[in-house]
Amino acid sequence: MNDSRSAPRLEARLKVTGQARYSAETQIPGLLHAALVTAPIARGRVTDIDASRAERLPGFVAIMTHENAAPLARAAAVLHLQGPEVRFAGEPVAVVIARSPIAARRAAAAVDVVYEAEPAATDFDLFLGEAYAPRTAGRTPTDSLRGDPEDALARARVSLDLRYETAANNHHPMEPQSVIADWGPDLLTVYTTTQAVFAHRAAIAGAFGLEVEKVRVVCEYLGGGFGAKGGAWYPGMILGIQLARHVGAPVRLELTRAQMFTLVGRRQETRQHLRLGADGDGRLTAIALDTVAPTSTYAEYADAVATTARMMYACPNVATTHRLVRLNAPQPNPMRAPGEGPGSFALESAMDELAHELQLDPLELRLRNFAVRDQNADLSWSSNGLRECYQVGAEAFGWAGRPLAPGALRDGRRTLGWGMAAVCYPVYSMASAASVALESDGGIVVRCGTQDMGTGTITVLGQLAAAILDVPLARVRVEIGDTLLPEGPYSGGSIATASFTPAVEAAARDLRTRLITLASTDPASSLLGEAQPDLVLEDGHVRSLTGNRSESLAALAGRAAPGGLEAFAQTTPDPDRPVSAFGFGAVFAEVAVDPELGEVRLKRLTAAYAAGRILNPLLARSQYVGGLIGGIGMALHEATVDDKASGRVLGDNLADYLIPVQADMPAFDVHMIHEDDPHLPGGIKGIGMLGTVGTAGAIANAVFHATGVRIRRLPIRIEDCIVQA
Amino acid sequence: MTDPSREPRALTLRVNGVDHSLAAEPCATLLDVLRDGLGLTGTKKGCDMGACGACTVLVDDRRINACLTLAAMQEGREIVTIEGLADGEDLHPMQQAFIAHDALQCGYCTPGQILSAVGLLAEGRAVDLAQVAEQMSGNLCRCGAHPNILAAIAEVAGLRA
Repeated sequence: MNDSRSAPRLEARLKVTGQARYSAETQIPGLLHAALVTAPIARGRVTDIDASRAERLPGFVAIMTHENAAPLARAAAVLHLQGPEVRFAGEPVAVVIARSPIAARRAAAAVDVVYEAEPAATDFDLFLGEAYAPRTAGRTPTDSLRGDPEDALARARVSLDLRYETAANNHHPMEPQSVIADWGPDLLTVYTTTQAVFAHRAAIAGAFGLEVEKVRVVCEYLGGGFGAKGGAWYPGMILGIQLARHVGAPVRLELTRAQMFTLVGRRQETRQHLRLGADGDGRLTAIALDTVAPTSTYAEYADAVATTARMMYACPNVATTHRLVRLNAPQPNPMRAPGEGPGSFALESAMDELAHELQLDPLELRLRNFAVRDQNADLSWSSNGLRECYQVGAEAFGWAGRPLAPGALRDGRRTLGWGMAAVCYPVYSMASAASVALESDGGIVVRCGTQDMGTGTITVLGQLAAAILDVPLARVRVEIGDTLLPEGPYSGGSIATASFTPAVEAAARDLRTRLITLASTDPASSLLGEAQPDLVLEDGHVRSLTGNRSESLAALAGRAAPGGLEAFAQTTPDPDRPVSAFGFGAVFAEVAVDPELGEVRLKRLTAAYAAGRILNPLLARSQYVGGLIGGIGMALHEATVDDKASGRVLGDNLADYLIPVQADMPAFDVHMIHEDDPHLPGGIKGIGMLGTVGTAGAIANAVFHATGVRIRRLPIRIEDCIVQA
Repeated sequence: MTDPSREPRALTLRVNGVDHSLAAEPCATLLDVLRDGLGLTGTKKGCDMGACGACTVLVDDRRINACLTLAAMQEGREIVTIEGLADGEDLHPMQQAFIAHDALQCGYCTPGQILSAVGLLAEGRAVDLAQVAEQMSGNLCRCGAHPNILAAIAEVAGLRA
């Protein structure tokens, strides 16, 4: 990468030397440790808790149960220990606080709990008949309808009636969720793993009835999140804070890997009934998608699975529905590429099935169905580079040489298959503030209360300011992850960069103007009296375009602004944007399948994305590859399995829950299409989700092309791919 | 209910060339003693059961999962954690390669990846990229830095992609 924007991560040195401190590593004197006691039943109530054995163990300090936990305001968050009810297997029923993590765990194991179990709804299939319509699907309406799909299906030259399934997945950031709460006399300080310090502060203030100014949330480094450190963490985090108040001392609660299967959300499994109608040329005349997913008995969430079916392709007749089934199971929540991930698997598989039915090239079918505008929103695209993505991706992959018939490509005893999928993800943004300051030594500091989940936020915040002020990136310091900073955005849903970029750029421009003013008005400045339009910032100096005079920022600051100079900006998205904004892409996969063993090896993934302005190509590529690997997991590895009888998670560890590892990696070839989008603030679309959308569909289509076997259920495992001789 | 097997005992661990004397329960893992006892939090806890590799450290130049060994079993051995890999301000070539190849995102698996890679090279097992990929598969990464990690190791090992 010779692009000058491809700066390495600003915090990389701290991360490769072990100096970057994550939440659980916060050093606080007198810190106590907590361990959860969790329910083995999926529904019922706690009738007795006997802690007498635990209390006699060394290091025991206290126990908190529903009997002695102070009631909290039932604001936005679902809360633990507010009553004797058990709503899913794995729900906390007590917490032990002790002087060390080992002592806490040992004592927690010695707490005797008596339960009264009740019949639980734990088998999704048994309750499909009780599906109901949720209030929303993600951020979109539950149902949609344009035209008359039933009539169009009845009249279609070709129609397909298909059923797809996707598994539940868990996010599993490598860093487990943790919280350390320190109740000071005037300020509650919370060190926690969060994708949104400000949203978490609001949740804490709400639960404890505090003014938000009385709560400080800190998250300096964040070991991944993928959705599991957003609102899904509120209940556990609030529980940890409550423990500290309960014992009057700072307490650390850190989830175990097993608890991360039940207490911090999951991607819903889905059952998708998808019907397509098309004319003889493959032009879509009807799409009908009905999707069902589970939610818990105590909260409601539905992934927007049908988003892609509503807008990806031109089609006059489209109907979609989302339905939920209530189960005694952990509450689902968004996970990387929520909705679009599982939804695009069904839609892109079905397009492949339609292409096969019509004996058309799958890419040609997609080109014939290109949507020139967003028919769902009835708006023009803000920009749409999908066709360039098809072209660039196909060319790089060598798609033109693909035989139509499955099983025609071989590599020794293995059969090869090529599949592709279209990709999209909506552009979201939220209000953000930021400040950019000149310090007295001439250095620049950017402040924004957002987080860096590993995406590169720290680095691009610095780059944005450095570019406008024309200072070397090495002279820029970035402060994030603290509610004492200007309020920054949530890190997730590809929201953060699109949100903070306009704010940081506005603050940096304001600072630039003020520096130029200062340079031309400071009596000791060599630029005194210069016309301001003639002054520019260049390499750490204010320089005159008309003469050979300049002032270094350090000299200017030291003399005229000894306390530094700070510019602040706040930006808010336009709620009435008259265009529809999506990032687009195309992904191409090559698999090799062993016909006797059924083993699927992913050999290549080629992807092209058009997603607005790219701030740092090096880090953007890493984001795309990371997203693609998330998609590989969905396609070939990941399944959270609940025991249908007990409701307990089977194999709740990282040895049984398979995620892609180094030996599973294909060759990656990622292309970023240049795209200027004048409709979006800063031209930013967000890229974190795009890599995961479509990938599972492309891989499944490649498996079909290799084997002739259409697999409509994720993940695709060995037993699905054994081709009968 | 005192149990002598749970009474803290005096222990001396040699970590990054320095002897540390402390008291730890006989059942304390090396991981917990490093993180909570010695404040060496560069060694990460990802699963606490040997399935993720985030806690990889070098003991007498061999890589082990610090969560799967008791601290008491490592007395008298040379333990190297991520904090001890650089030579003062000079980063180890593997650390430099990880930065140059953007072989990290959130950074939580990174110390384990780097120490695992260093151990792999010391063990003489990095004969080709496929072997490296196989040998690095015990170090999970959830952000998806894998190809960049492989590129960083290949550079240090002198292997061509």
